[in-house]
Amino acid sequence: MATRSQRPANGLSNDDANSVRRAHLQRASREAEQAWVHAREAVTDVRDAIDLKDMANRHPIGTVAAALGIGYVLGGGLFSRLTARVLGFGVRVGLRLAVLPMLKEEIVGIASAIAPSRNGSAAVEQSASP
Amino acid sequence: METTGDIKDAIDDKLADLKIDIEEGRKKLSVYGEKMTDYIKENPGKCVAGAIAVGFLLGKLARR
Repeated sequence: MATRSQRPANGLSNDDANSVRRAHLQRASREAEQAWVHAREAVTDVRDAIDLKDMANRHPIGTVAAALGIGYVLGGGLFSRLTARVLGFGVRVGLRLAVLPMLKEEIVGIASAIAPSRNGSAAVEQSASP
Repeated sequence: METTGDIKDAIDDKLADLKIDIEEGRKKLSVYGEKMTDYIKENPGKCVAGAIAVGFLLGKLARR
């Protein structure tokens, strides 16, 4: 009769259990190797797609500014009070810069439309008076 | 006793000195800017990684 050490609870002998473990390990190692190859390919693809050196050569300051922005977003600064203030200030300044010239043009247009009619009425009044 | 002409000359001299200082400062700034862009072109990975790190810290600080 087989003792407990010779025949474990799963019904496999020690040699069988070892070979099963070895097979598992080999499969895991193969999968890890494949995953490593895939990861390296993905990194290479990303590097080729971004082409950091070329981008830095063309727009050095812009590249660093973009990286700073990405880091800021990753740090969770996007939905902060500071961002809201900065955005609000930017929108206010932008609106002023965009809207003021338009308003000015409109006012000048209205004034020039009113002025000739006023001049005309003044001329009419002058000619009517003795 | 200083006349108004003397005072005007002194102000003009000071203004000329100030203009020279501003011009020198501008030249120095442009030199630093060129150095910075050259450094970024030579070490893009380092600069981008550093900028991301600085941005991350700023984002963390802003979130507080």
